[in-house]
Order: sequence, then structure tokens, then C-alpha cells
Amino acid sequence: MSIFPSARRTRLLSALALGAVGALALSACSGGSTDGGGGTAENPTEITFQSWVPNIDQAVDAFNEAHDDIHVTLETITAGPDGGYAKMLSAVQAGNPADVAQIGYDSIPDFLVNDALEDITEYVGDSADTFVPWQWETGVFGDQVYAVPQASGPLGQFYRKDIFDSLGLAYPTTWDEYYEAAKVIRASDPNRYIAAFAFNQAPWMIGLAQQGGANWFGTDGDAWVVDIDGDATLSVAEFWQKMIDEDLVKIEADFSSEWNADIQNGNIVTWISGSWADAILRGTAPDTAGSWAVGAMPQWVAGENVSATWAGGSASVVLKGSKNPEAAAEFALWLNSDPTSVDILTSVGAGWPAIADTSVVPSLQDDPEVFAFYGGQDIWDVFAESDAAVDTSWKWPPLSSTLFASLTDNVKAAVDAGTPLVDAYRKTQTDVVTALEERGITVK
Amino acid sequence: MSTLAPRRTRRRPRAALWALLVPFVVMFALFFIAPIIYALVQSMFATKSSGLGLGRPETVFVFFDNYARALSDPAFVESLGRLLLFSAIEVPLMVITALGLALLLDSGRAWGGRFFRVLYFAPYGVPGVVATLLWGFLYIPATSPVLQMLEGVGIHINPLSGDNVLFAIANIALWGFAGYNMIILMSALDAIPSELYEAARIDGASAWSIIWNIKLPLVRPSVILVTVFTLIGTLQLFVEPLVLRPLTTAISSTFTPNLAAYNQAFAQGNPNLAAAMAVIVALLGFAFSFGFLSLVNRKGNRAW
Repeated sequence: MSIFPSARRTRLLSALALGAVGALALSACSGGSTDGGGGTAENPTEITFQSWVPNIDQAVDAFNEAHDDIHVTLETITAGPDGGYAKMLSAVQAGNPADVAQIGYDSIPDFLVNDALEDITEYVGDSADTFVPWQWETGVFGDQVYAVPQASGPLGQFYRKDIFDSLGLAYPTTWDEYYEAAKVIRASDPNRYIAAFAFNQAPWMIGLAQQGGANWFGTDGDAWVVDIDGDATLSVAEFWQKMIDEDLVKIEADFSSEWNADIQNGNIVTWISGSWADAILRGTAPDTAGSWAVGAMPQWVAGENVSATWAGGSASVVLKGSKNPEAAAEFALWLNSDPTSVDILTSVGAGWPAIADTSVVPSLQDDPEVFAFYGGQDIWDVFAESDAAVDTSWKWPPLSSTLFASLTDNVKAAVDAGTPLVDAYRKTQTDVVTALEERGITVK
Repeated sequence: MSTLAPRRTRRRPRAALWALLVPFVVMFALFFIAPIIYALVQSMFATKSSGLGLGRPETVFVFFDNYARALSDPAFVESLGRLLLFSAIEVPLMVITALGLALLLDSGRAWGGRFFRVLYFAPYGVPGVVATLLWGFLYIPATSPVLQMLEGVGIHINPLSGDNVLFAIANIALWGFAGYNMIILMSALDAIPSELYEAARIDGASAWSIIWNIKLPLVRPSVILVTVFTLIGTLQLFVEPLVLRPLTTAISSTFTPNLAAYNQAFAQGNPNLAAAMAVIVALLGFAFSFGFLSLVNRKGNRAW
């Protein structure tokens, strides 16, 4: 998953759910479906939709209002990596899946490797032009379409403009300037840091590596090429090593209670995150309204414009075994391309829309409530530019979940023991290659 | 007539027997035996792909491969070692604390016995997740008044650092369960007939020798019970590290075997490996509890 990083609450819920492994299979049966065939106004086709995006029910309601032949029921589930994916996969295995499900771009190959996705080429295949090409491609394997992209998380840097201004700091446009700014900020207050080093957040680390020019996964014929410990990644790792060694970043999990407190009281003054993070900042630190601004990612080479994403984005898929794949695909397409729906999704914080023509999205043109929080800045300009500057050749292999777990474990261990970060990336390379090979997947 | 009567009396208890047994047996089989068998079966399969891994996978029987894989994974083996270390810290700490509190409140000299009995027991009513969240706040300098106070007088402690984290978790478990175990031990102490104390006092026994020669030997079965419960509880260590994980770099996704199994099943989509890990933990639990029981129940083993 990418769009909504692990909320602790959901993790607790999944912890509680662990005691009832059997209950998973039982609860999966609740996703009711009627027989296939077109629905009518009197007897609409019933489909279910599983998602963890807060307030996405508004978009589902809008769909139901606009359609009388299909009726969608929303099932709010635990965020993907915190148990949502496990629930979907076990339901597929039990033959009782929801019809449409939310999954991260990174997880589409994971679902394919588990044979859990319905081929929806015949229903949505000719809608490719509606979407940004690279996002559409994340759901295409061979000639088959398996997913309809929803939104991505182009990276930007949220920062406390008031604190930067009071210290006489200009916005850092390069990583060198970032490092110098970090020293000034650190010296200004014993508790203040430029940023948190989020050891828990694989998508954040992957985004930083990608922005540094790394491309971890490629294919060569019938084999994967894995390059987690390439030069680009290691030089990014060395930069953060320097930041850690000089005590310029606070080692702290994002979204933790400690982090929330630091964001609220200005002890952490920047946050590199996806476009959807604006909703989180506004929710976490309402008292700091007006003090924030958003800038483009600092660059490794001055004057360039390279960006990246927070582990891609999020898509809607039709789960294998859906009794109404046609209606399900129709809903998935509408949800992610109809201007009304996309407008709702954008305002509830689902991410940067995957549709090619974002000019049809009113909330991206003007959103007084959002812009006021950022001192009147039109922050969407920054993300529109960021989105255009993403290296779109990034590919996700199967077992991205193993990659996430391994990367955070290894980085944690390195930070905890004070061993080099570059070794953590080297170990992750070994872990991921081993996991892929154990699965029977060819790695070159 | 005379032949009917005995038959009826014979039949009735059997019907009652079944009526009483069946609900239990059905539920037990359905929710205990069946999942265990299912886990055992699952642990011997694996899904395999080929090439880029984007095609249809197949499920193959791999016999003990998942066990071999779990036991050859350094992270999992490390988690087993960590668990044993945790048990070595937690079990004695728990038994001694619970026993100490029980003896103290049982001595009759303690002031406000009833009040303290409820007070010590109260944490047991707090769900484990909530308890860990509460302690989590107390363990972080940014939110902990205690750590801030210590900081103020120049003492820097990080309970969640790699060296301290096991003790931090042990403390949460102790806080949550010591009162509960104390109640078990107190009810055993209550059951000791007061004549024994009288006789001992007439013989001139001191309070200490009453504890040593009467109370402890007579609550021995309860002490063993508490030890076994604590042992099994510590081997299941899961909720505390799961909740504390986002707060520290010292807790990985494979910190305890249960956490590793959870991570495999719910985050990494490998329920087969998770099943194998779960079976290993279960076997370990069996081995330790029965090992401990046979050790303390050996004939002539009445050292104390």
C-alpha cells in the first residue's frame, strides 16, 4: 500500500483479529453477490467494494445515485499491509471475494502471483487514454489489464515556512542546501530537527532512493533484475548516514504519537511525503494552520527537476472469483475517472488523481480551506510539477511486501546498532533475491 | 415392567452424557482440533511461481521445507533465542513478585489488605493492547512525565533502546499479570487451615519459618500452576512488541516468533511459512510446560 501509511489503530485491529484466523474465512463470506448478468432498476446488480480510504463512502454514494442498474456496498477494511490484503487473498481462496478492492500499485504483482486478479481487459481495455500512461501501465501485464489506477503520491516537501523565515533560511532546492539548513535548524533549538528519519516507512526510503536515480527492479527477458544496493541508492544512504551521524535528523517513526507531537510543536519542521499528506498535516496539526508551505524535492544536481512517488499509488482491481466482473469493472472505471468521483477522492485525500486531464477536477483548481493552511499557496501546482517529473520506468516485482518488511527491519537494525546504512540496503538486496528465488521466480 | 425399568435408568444417563458432552466436543473439534490440523496441513504446502512470477502460481506439497526454511532463517532463530531470554527474565520475576505480594497481603499485618488486593489486581482488567499503549507513552521522552523528570535531574534512560526493550516489555507483562497471579496464590494461602499456624506458633516458629515450612510447601501446586501459565504466556509474546514496534528501532518484524508468523501471514502473504512457525512455537510451548511439570513432579523432588 502506498497512499495510506500504516495507521496504528488499524494495526491494533489486525492484532486483535489475529486471534481469530478462522474468523477471517468466515467474515470473507459476508461479501454477497448476485448472479451475473445485467442488473435493472428494479433488480440492480449488487457488488461489494473493499477500501480503507477514509470517507470514500462519499464516492460510492455518488456512484449509487448515478446508477440504478448497479448497487455498490462499501466494506471498510484494514489498510492493505496491516491485514487488508491478507483478508482479500484469503477470501479469493475461499471463493467469496469482494468484487472490487483497493490495492497499492506495489501490490498488484503480489496479487497476480497469488492468482487473485480478474482480467478486465474486455471491459476497460479501451480506456487507457483516460489515464496518465505510467499509472495505467502499472495494471497492465502482457496484453492484459488487471487494474484501474486511482491516484499516485508524487513527493513534495512540506515545511514550516514561518520557522525557515525566522531563521533566515531560504528553501533548500538541493540536498547540499538541505544539509546546511539542517545544521542551522538543529542549532536553533535543542529539541528541533529538520526532519524525522522514518525508519518504519519503506515507501519513504524507496521514494528517496528513486529520487536519487535508483531503479530497483527491471526485467530481462523472463527474469527479474534486482538492484537495491546500486550506486545511486548507496549514495542516498550515505547522505542520510551523515545526517544521522551528525544528529541532524530525529530518529523517529512517522505517524507515531511522538512524531505527531513533534509536528504539532514545531520540533520537526519538514516532511517529505506524497501529495495526500496535506490532509494528514491538516488533521494532525490544525493549530499550525497558515505556517506551512510546500516545496519541490531537493535535487542532487542543482537546476534539475527529479521527483519520485511514495511507492507508486493506489488502484482498483476486480478480485478473482467476482460473480459480476463486468459490473465490478464498470464501477472501478467510474470511481477513478468520473470527474465527480475524482473530485471527491481528491478532497478526501486519496492522492494525486491518475486521470490524464486533471483540469476537470474542481478541488485541484481552487480549495480555499487547503490553501489557507499553506498560507494561501496553491500547493497543487507543486504536486502537478512533481507528478510530471517522476521516473515512470519504476516496476514493482512480486513480493513487494517482503521488500517493505526486509527494508524496514534492516534499516531499523542498522540505526539501532549503529552499523552502516549501506549494509542495510545490501542485506535487503540479499533478502529480496532469496525470497523471490524461494518462490520459484527467476532472478538474474 | 421389571425389565423396562433398569433399561431406562441405563439409557437416561447415557443420553444426558451425550447431551452434556456433544456441545463441548463439537466446539472443541471445530475450533481447536480442526484449526490445528489445518495449520499442520498448511505448513507442508507452498505456492510456487516461475519466470517473472506474474502467471498463475501452483500449490505444491513440500513436506518439511517450511520448517527447514523457518529454522534456517537467522532472524527467526534469533527470535526464538530472544523469547527464551525473555522467559528467563519474566517467569522468575513474575512468580517471585506474585508470591511476595500474596505473602505480604496474607500476613495479616499489612495495612489496607483489601484495598491493595484490588489495587494490584486492577491492571489485569486493562486489555493488553491498551496497557501497552499506556506504557508506550511512558517510555517515550516526548510524552513521558517520568522520563522528563529524570531528564531534569540529569538521568537519561531510554527504556526502548535495544538493551532495555526486553525489560520494558517484561515490566508491562508484570504490571498486567502479577495481580492476577497474586489472587491465585492468595486463594491457596486462604485454604491453609489456621490450626497449622497455631500449632507452629505454639512450637515457637517465627513468621519466617511459618512461611518457609508451612505456607510455601502448601501453596506449591499453585506456584507450579502460576509458573506454567506464565511460561506459556511468555512464549506467546506478541501484543506488546506489536504495539511498541512503531516507537523504537529495537523491535523488528521478527522480534518474537509469533510476530514473525503474524508478519508472514498478514503482511507478506505466506500463510504456509506462518503455519510452520506457529507449529514450532506450539511445540516449544508443549516441550517447556511438560518439561517443567515433569521436572517438579518427579518423585522425591520436594526440595522446598
